[in-house]
Amino acid sequence: MELATKTGFVLLGLFIILNWGLIMAGIIRKIIARASMRRGISVFQPYINLIKNYSIRSQLTHGVMFYLGPVFRLSGGVGIFLFMPLIHDSEIWSNFSFAGDLILIAYFMFFGMLGMALGAGEGGHPYSAIGISRGLAQFTAIEVPLTLAILSIAFQYNTLSISEIVARQQGGILNWTLFTNPLATIAAMISFLGAMGHAPFNVVMAPQENPIGPPTEYHGTFLGVLQTNRAILHVIESVLFMNLFFGGASNWFELIVKTFFIYFWSVFVGMVFPRFRVDQSIPWLLKIPVLIGILSIVFILL
Amino acid sequence: MNLPGIEYLSLGLGIVLFLAGLWGIIHQKNIIKIIISFSVLDTSIHLILVSIGYMRNRTAPIIDSAVSKTDAASQVVDPLPQALVLTAIVIGVGITALMLTYALKLFNEKGTLEIDKFKSLKW
Amino acid sequence: MVNPVFIIVVLLGAGFLLGLFRKTGISLARVAGLLALAFPLYVSVGWMLHFIGQTAQPYVVYTAGTVPPFSINLRMGPDEAFLTAAINMLGFFGFIYLFRLFKSQGVSTIILYLVLFMGLNVIVMTRDIFNLFVFLEIASIALIGLVLVNKGIDALSAGFKYLIAVSVISSILLVGIGFIYYYSGTLNIDGFIENNSLVMKGLSTAVFLVLVAVVLELKAFPANGWALDVYQSAHPGISALISAGTATASLFVLYKLLPFGGHLWLQVAAVIGLVTFVGSNMLGIAQKNANRLLGYSSVGQIGLLVAVIGFSDDLGSHLRMIFFGLFISHFLSKAGLFWLSGMAGEEEISKWSVLRKKPALLLIFGMFVFSLIGFPPFPSFYGKWQLVMDLSGNGQILWIALILLGTMFEGVYLFRWLGFAIKHEVDESKAPDTAAEKMIPAGAFALLLLGASWVSNAYFPGAMKTSFLPLYFILFLFLIDFLPLVIKNTLSILSLGYYGWRLYPSIQDDTLRLVFAGIFLIGGMLTLFAGYSEKGKRPGFYPFALMMYAGLIGLVEADNLFGFFFAWELMTMGSYILIIRGKKSLVHAYNYMLFSLGGALLILFGIALTVAGQPDISLSMLASPAYPGWAYALLAVGFLTKTAALGLHIWLPGAHAEAESDVSPMVSGILLKAGAFGLVILFLAMGGGEAGRHPLLYALGWLGALTALGGNLMAVFQEDAKRLLAYSSVGNLGYILFAFSFMTHIGWLTGLTYSINHFLFKTLLFLAIGGVVMRVKTHNMYEMGGLIKRMPWSFIAVLVGIITLAGIPPLSGFAGKWLFYNAVIAKGWFLQGALVFFAGTIAFLYCFKLIYSVFLGQEKDRFRKVKEAPVWYIIPQFILIVGIMIFSARPEIVLKPIGALLSQAAFFPSEPLAWENVTAYTNLGYWSGFNIMLVIGAMFVVLLGWLLLMSRKAQKVKQFNIVYAGEAPFTPETTHFSHNMFAPYNKALGFLIHPVATQFWLGVNNTFHALAESARKIYSGNGQSYIIHIVAYIVVVYLILS
Repeated sequence: MELATKTGFVLLGLFIILNWGLIMAGIIRKIIARASMRRGISVFQPYINLIKNYSIRSQLTHGVMFYLGPVFRLSGGVGIFLFMPLIHDSEIWSNFSFAGDLILIAYFMFFGMLGMALGAGEGGHPYSAIGISRGLAQFTAIEVPLTLAILSIAFQYNTLSISEIVARQQGGILNWTLFTNPLATIAAMISFLGAMGHAPFNVVMAPQENPIGPPTEYHGTFLGVLQTNRAILHVIESVLFMNLFFGGASNWFELIVKTFFIYFWSVFVGMVFPRFRVDQSIPWLLKIPVLIGILSIVFILL
Repeated sequence: MNLPGIEYLSLGLGIVLFLAGLWGIIHQKNIIKIIISFSVLDTSIHLILVSIGYMRNRTAPIIDSAVSKTDAASQVVDPLPQALVLTAIVIGVGITALMLTYALKLFNEKGTLEIDKFKSLKW
Repeated sequence: MVNPVFIIVVLLGAGFLLGLFRKTGISLARVAGLLALAFPLYVSVGWMLHFIGQTAQPYVVYTAGTVPPFSINLRMGPDEAFLTAAINMLGFFGFIYLFRLFKSQGVSTIILYLVLFMGLNVIVMTRDIFNLFVFLEIASIALIGLVLVNKGIDALSAGFKYLIAVSVISSILLVGIGFIYYYSGTLNIDGFIENNSLVMKGLSTAVFLVLVAVVLELKAFPANGWALDVYQSAHPGISALISAGTATASLFVLYKLLPFGGHLWLQVAAVIGLVTFVGSNMLGIAQKNANRLLGYSSVGQIGLLVAVIGFSDDLGSHLRMIFFGLFISHFLSKAGLFWLSGMAGEEEISKWSVLRKKPALLLIFGMFVFSLIGFPPFPSFYGKWQLVMDLSGNGQILWIALILLGTMFEGVYLFRWLGFAIKHEVDESKAPDTAAEKMIPAGAFALLLLGASWVSNAYFPGAMKTSFLPLYFILFLFLIDFLPLVIKNTLSILSLGYYGWRLYPSIQDDTLRLVFAGIFLIGGMLTLFAGYSEKGKRPGFYPFALMMYAGLIGLVEADNLFGFFFAWELMTMGSYILIIRGKKSLVHAYNYMLFSLGGALLILFGIALTVAGQPDISLSMLASPAYPGWAYALLAVGFLTKTAALGLHIWLPGAHAEAESDVSPMVSGILLKAGAFGLVILFLAMGGGEAGRHPLLYALGWLGALTALGGNLMAVFQEDAKRLLAYSSVGNLGYILFAFSFMTHIGWLTGLTYSINHFLFKTLLFLAIGGVVMRVKTHNMYEMGGLIKRMPWSFIAVLVGIITLAGIPPLSGFAGKWLFYNAVIAKGWFLQGALVFFAGTIAFLYCFKLIYSVFLGQEKDRFRKVKEAPVWYIIPQFILIVGIMIFSARPEIVLKPIGALLSQAAFFPSEPLAWENVTAYTNLGYWSGFNIMLVIGAMFVVLLGWLLLMSRKAQKVKQFNIVYAGEAPFTPETTHFSHNMFAPYNKALGFLIHPVATQFWLGVNNTFHALAESARKIYSGNGQSYIIHIVAYIVVVYLILS
């Protein structure tokens, strides 16, 4: 396929994902509000926020790295999208996934995190650094069950190619990793909770809930870029888990439904549980979930 | 006559003196006494050497009217140990002299001859 | 040739004649004495030259006009010629050393001196056992007389104890001689050996008395307290004579008389010698007095030589070679050290820092210390190597262990001492005594030591030859040390380049070696480049830097085990000196040296167990060791001390962090690869396939994983930037160990990728942080902050460095991670693998801490004026960045040939990694560094453009213009969130890094020190206890023998 066509489809896919991400965010916030006996915002509030932020005129910057932070962040989100095959057996919607496999995506997630951390760091606000240090610390623990799960399924399917993993789950719901390797799925879905930034693992976000801190430092266009990224990232990470554990998607509709439920899982848990402190969440993650992950490998090896 | 030969007697005496000298060196606290013990030890060795060289019923290894040159080999005792003893005595004297020099200097330094008092260097 | 009897004639005659000079003046007497000593030197050197290179018959002097046994005869054979030459050399230079002293002492001292050396010469030459006794006594009397030149109670009481002890010992000797004569009828040594055997009970007792007396003369441990006191209290010039001179003569006595005792006594001598070597050196570790310490060391070294003589049967034709190597090192170094002691004028070893005021003295001191321990190129290195090889050939494994243990103990105190001299604070009011008459002997012996090294290299067997070319260059650098830094630095860089150019053709087909040679040489040139920013002449830096690089490249170049070990030790020596140059490096360099020495000894042991006396010592021998299990384990542990595996890592953080700014990248980015290369060589030899299931490798895999975790976790909690990087090196070397122990094709690719990456990013990071530290003058990250504005280039370098370190695409670190996943899954080491990945994510924490705390956050007032790091630091950094970029975009340039090499028959034949243009495929996944780079690059540019478009009016604000609940923050210090950044993490996982290893090694250290401290109490200082020791020793040996 020609590069131009390819690029066109990639941009189209990105557009769809972005919009779905914004709508999903709206829906989810509505659900949360209702569950908390509130009326809640409009479903289209994320769009409104985005437009507002992009059009704010006054803009302040603390330096080059501060400026580059959101770029890194958005590159991270878009990058994962670029390397992710979206729809099963569709060359059009496989993006640039020929450049790398599951490992590339797993490691490219850090790209945005790192850039954001550096950008916020240059802002000079101590809350930024506090949030980042918490986030990174907790992230190390979140990664462990996920790594075990990835190792487990990579061994199970004998491949690291996401397209291949999806292909192997076709032919009925019972072929999904969810059923062929339930332990790995459980371990990974616990990690997913951590990655999505809802309770009980969202103390990382705490500094952002204050009226001061990173969100106020990153305002206007910068915040717009970050919100764009968040919308993309939530969907695309759900796509990753969908591809790995829930049979992938053979059309856009399936993708939308599945990602909604996968993402909703983290919201659902978050509604029910209170927060862990970081020094509580890390030991917790390194006990039961890791054990589950190890069992999944043992299970596969047997 | 079944008495033990003179060589055994002197050998035995030598060994006894050797042990006595050694005991003195280890046991006596006074440096002069230690030096004397050494002299005893030294002398005991001379005794031992001479007794080793002794052959029964032979005469001194001096070739004179009593012992002719031709018969010397069968008539005299082995002369070599006696020669050795002579040398050993000279050396013994040298060492004793050196020891006494040391004793003198030690006494001059510290005003005592107790060997226990000279333990500044250790470990 | 001059008849050797004239040695006696001249010395004795001169002694008598000098008596006549008593009145006429000391000056003439001194010159006469020196001339008298020059004569025997001339005679014995003449004989030595006569014997070199031809098998001439020994020359025998018959006295009294008849042949033995009816007369005394002297022999001048090759052995005698060599030893008397050595003794007379000592006599000559020792006399010069005492030249001024003689003036105040008078003629009688000179006479004693001449008599002593006459005695020593005769002791060596005579073949008559009673004559031997007489001259032993004469030498003793002369020596004890000489002890008196030092006034004061210490020397006096020591001399007296010595006198008593020697008298008792010689009494026993005399009794023994008497009985030998009684039973055998001869006093001639050769006649006795020819005609007698030990079947007679009485004779064996006589022989026992003689030999035990000789052994006691040689200061057998522990019945040697009398000698230690004299070593300590005598004038150093006299102690030198005891340690080098009388000991030499006595050793030869033992060699002459040992055949009396037959095979049994050889074994006895071996045991006694080794017990002395180990025991005396162990007690030495608690000793702080320089001269007494030299005494302990002397006793130990002589013990080793006694043991070598005891091993005669095992060593066969190698005996002389080994003895030469060990003996000449001890002889020259120990005499030299005693002389230096006199020049330093300090008793406490910690005060020897005074030598620093005269760098030449420090250099000589270092040479002597290294030669005593047995570092190359000194002769003891050759001797110890051959000794250990031959012993293992005869299955004497326990003996090897004891020899290495003793050497380790010796290293403990000698390197402490050397460290003090190089680094301990100096008392400004003092200066070493550098009178010409003292400099000449010390300098001469240092030169002789170098000459002996050259001789060892030239005359030891063929396989043990190494190219001395780098050493000559290092010597040259010593000679031009007075030149400006620019010249020396340029020459050094050029020499590395030239060496690489010279070496390239010989290793161009061997990609593995090429990779490591590239790391060592290119890395060397880049890090040396930073040296241009140094001010002053940087004395003593370049010879040792080049020594380290010569060692490193020697590892790559070596085609046999000897060459490998030679290079290994050279590298250790150079790097030790480099590390100790840091301001606070005293204790860290000491730790480094002890672990390195321990590691090197284990490697030597491993090699010995591999070769086991076979003549072939090529590297391929590793494939089929004589004792595979032990050899592999010892070699592996030896290499792991250099890669700082968990448990053996405690030296690293301090050594790397406290080193100078441009030394840290050398030792962390480059030097550590030596251990990795050692592992590569070892694992390759173990072979692919079957060996992959070797339990050792399994254990090493776990060790690597735990090291990765431990190192990274410890790095997270550091506040010192360089320490953080140092701990990160521990962790990264853990990855490398882990990857290599897979023993699969892809595992090895991973390991090599990691090695290259670690070289690139750690050199980069250490250079960058080193540059920053040079400017801000602190290592503490929380004191920095906001430096991005002052040092943007350094920031970029660190950014690239941490992205590579963390393995984030698109940079080459990700290549390692991707290969890693493939390797782990293919190998099935899931648990270890997960541990390593956990460690990998932990790396993010310290990466962030490093770049944030130093460059981001709040800028401190006192750093508002700092400049960018020196340009000489920045240039190599950007060359490294270019390297990273190339390796990231086109990894196949390097990985493809490595893969091809690994596939070659012997290694890992299966080739699971295929390349299709720029994309790598395994049967698991695929990855294309180039495409990723392209996609990410394009995307980044587009998004940056988008943001620039949207926020083109962004306004730059001041530092404190942040939203702070309506308040202005107080100071940058309170607003910079950096100190104890990961406190919650510490709370959660801190228990994992409880300093178990440190406590363990501290425990080991304390145990041995306590042991030595209490054991040396047997040297109570009481002359009579020393006699009891002697008597008890005789009794115990007798009981054991019967």
